Amino acid sequence: MKNPIKTTNIAQFQSMCEPLTLEAAIKESNRCLLCHDAPCSAECPAGTDPGKFIRQIKFYNYKGAARTIRRNNILGSVCAFVCPVEKLCEKACSVKALEEPVNINGLQRFAVEYGKRFGIEALPKSRKTSGNVAVIGCGPAGMSCASELAKMDYAVTIFERENSGGGVPRWNIPEFRLPGDTIAYDMENLLSQGVAFKYESAVKSEDAIEKMLLNGYDAVFISTGLTEPYRLNMLDHYENAMDYITFLRRVKFDRKSIDISGKTIAVIGGGSVAVDAAVSAKACGAKKVYLVSLEHLDELPADKEEVRLAQIMNIIFKAGSQITEVLSDEKNITGLKGIETEWIEPGRFTPDNIRQIAGTEFSINADMVIQAIGTKPGREIINIKPQLQTNGKGVISVNEKFETNETGIFAGGDVVNGGATVAQAVGEGKKSARFIDEYIKNRRNSK
Amino acid sequence: MSKQADLSIDFCGVKFENPFCLSSSPVGYHAEMCARAYEAGWGGIVYKTLGLEKSFKVVMPSPRLNAYHHDDKRFIGLQNAEQITDRPILDNIKDLTWLKKSYPGKVLISSIMGYTDEDWTELAKMSEDAGADLLELNFSCPQMAHKKAGHRVGQDFHAVAAFTEVVKKASKLPVIAKMTPNITDMVPVAMAAKEGGADAISAINTIRAITDIDINSFTPLPNIHGNSSPTGFSGPSAKPVALRFVSELYNAKHLNLPISGIGGIETWIDALHFLLLGATNLQVTTAIMKYGYRIVEDMIEGLSDYMIERNIHSLDEIIGKAAKKIVDPSEFNTRFQVVSVVDENKCIGCGRCYISCADGANQAMQFDSERRKVSVNEERCLGCMLCKHVCPVWDCISYKEVDTTVTRHAAIF
Repeated sequence: MKNPIKTTNIAQFQSMCEPLTLEAAIKESNRCLLCHDAPCSAECPAGTDPGKFIRQIKFYNYKGAARTIRRNNILGSVCAFVCPVEKLCEKACSVKALEEPVNINGLQRFAVEYGKRFGIEALPKSRKTSGNVAVIGCGPAGMSCASELAKMDYAVTIFERENSGGGVPRWNIPEFRLPGDTIAYDMENLLSQGVAFKYESAVKSEDAIEKMLLNGYDAVFISTGLTEPYRLNMLDHYENAMDYITFLRRVKFDRKSIDISGKTIAVIGGGSVAVDAAVSAKACGAKKVYLVSLEHLDELPADKEEVRLAQIMNIIFKAGSQITEVLSDEKNITGLKGIETEWIEPGRFTPDNIRQIAGTEFSINADMVIQAIGTKPGREIINIKPQLQTNGKGVISVNEKFETNETGIFAGGDVVNGGATVAQAVGEGKKSARFIDEYIKNRRNSK
Repeated sequence: MSKQADLSIDFCGVKFENPFCLSSSPVGYHAEMCARAYEAGWGGIVYKTLGLEKSFKVVMPSPRLNAYHHDDKRFIGLQNAEQITDRPILDNIKDLTWLKKSYPGKVLISSIMGYTDEDWTELAKMSEDAGADLLELNFSCPQMAHKKAGHRVGQDFHAVAAFTEVVKKASKLPVIAKMTPNITDMVPVAMAAKEGGADAISAINTIRAITDIDINSFTPLPNIHGNSSPTGFSGPSAKPVALRFVSELYNAKHLNLPISGIGGIETWIDALHFLLLGATNLQVTTAIMKYGYRIVEDMIEGLSDYMIERNIHSLDEIIGKAAKKIVDPSEFNTRFQVVSVVDENKCIGCGRCYISCADGANQAMQFDSERRKVSVNEERCLGCMLCKHVCPVWDCISYKEVDTTVTRHAAIF
């Protein structure tokens, strides 16, 4: 049983769903079959172990549930809000054979909130006896790797170019999906583990990573994520075309600079970030918001709950459509022309696989266009470490142990996987930490 | 309107249009309530137990109820510290008189509780004069503030016999003696009532119980200004105990009195269970407190359909049918042995049977983690059927008979 979405909260950039009450959590946890093999847990890329924390809730062990979540997933409270559970744990839920799956993220939020409100002891502090590791980039993958290393008594320093940590959840996920204090709670837990943070410390100089490895760090973990949005050439140079990263960050931290009240906005893209941008635009007062995507409605990469959210917010879907022409005055876009499309080869959702459908041309007015068609890693890391192997899209290549081709340098999260869930990044960070530990111990033993 | 089976019963020579009655409790507190119960379809009511205020002034403790919850299931039982009526006797007698005049076709049972022979005599006579069809003697309220009443009488064979005799002398009405379950064996008490002249037995009154404790104030609930007491427990979770007592009364051949069954009846199936174990008449309170008088419609319709589907013309045909199958465990035929059978098409792969069998039986369930299906190792299966009871799919697991000359041979022969 999912809590209903509150549209009034969205307009105020407050959490769109109320947390489960104690009563609702008791009911929901009793719907869980407590499976022997907990397929939900097997499906969680972060290893949060919902099978265990739901059992703990069912047996009134609420603090135990909060501990399980935090121990397994340092971003446990963020994931409780943003995880696309329908594609992960809830997809695997055995209850689905009988009725609606268990509301797993609802229960996760309940347990996290319970832990916050009634207090669970701080995570143990790293004794810093195992070695030193530098983490570059304080997003989910970096935080998770750091937390795991701290548990293994490493001294970990996270270098972050921004003035605070959290990565995408902090800067780009709207507050109606992720309340503002959520990431702060996870950051506090990481801090309590004795992890050191160096903010506004972009790793820029050419020999920075070499120096780290020479000056006391046993290994470096790169988790700089994706920072460079793709842009459509036809939209270049217009003042009122914006990428979603800039848009979502300004909505979150500089909302006054987004003056779109009463305006018509076109968002291009079909993923979660496109929906976030579209709903944010609406919440900022836009009169009309279009969502133009190559994917048809049932093919949108955004999870169903988000599509539902967009529908509730009256976003106008131009799904299965392509932009063909930009209408503009000198500096600004005034409208877009488009056409409906179909896939030449079914099931392959790439721009080179579409066929336009004659006679379906349309045009829409637009006071602003937001592009949300994907992101790639920034060039910064490659610029300072050109020897690092990357693949065509600019993501760093690693082996199954998250090792790059350079000794002592590991990488994980979006900068490696090209963009996935927070849970995936957390999982990669955790696994990386174990391989980093293994690498450091092996090196020490062979000396 | 669908066809209606004949649900009428004869109980102590009194004809009931159906066996469903209110039991003596807050649901029969005054005439207006009882009238609505009659209108809803109840065949009879046992009015809330009368007492004489000149002998004992009743004051209800407050709060006096606590519901028993399990998991997310609310109110599967109810604990109460209710007393007998706190209304003046003359008001109640007026109500009884009005009820009998207004609903002559319905059965009116007066429940009474005295503290002395004189009290019992007076209450019996007043009830008879008011038009009651039967008397029920409350020997069983487990929480009377009066120390010489309620279940304390019901545990004392001599008092039960003596008070019954007093009532029988005072009134010509048939007398039902209401039993307390707070005793090891109910039959000797029922026998004492019979010796005193009782015409029927009603069972059970509520079970002394503690349903909950406030773990912050260390106070059991209901918290009656800082204290509590093991008081009467009723409702669906009390039903198994009630069924046991009813079957024991019915199977006590030397007792041979009609039984009014009470304890956790909510549906026609519950009602049927009591009938099958030997009850002729049925009484309900907790389900009414929870859902209202209207539930009798579903009891009537459900029981009627059951009878029509099976060509049963009268409840007499089925009363006690299941009681005959109750034997001492020493008489079980242990040569009949079963093993579990899993319907793989219905199995959803949760593995609950696997866990329960591993930790609570004999490790006979095998879990195929690739296919997420279970199977039974018949060599290890003990035929206890724990697996069936934990399975979330109601009809996934069943059993089949095994050849005991091979399986479990050593244990049996």
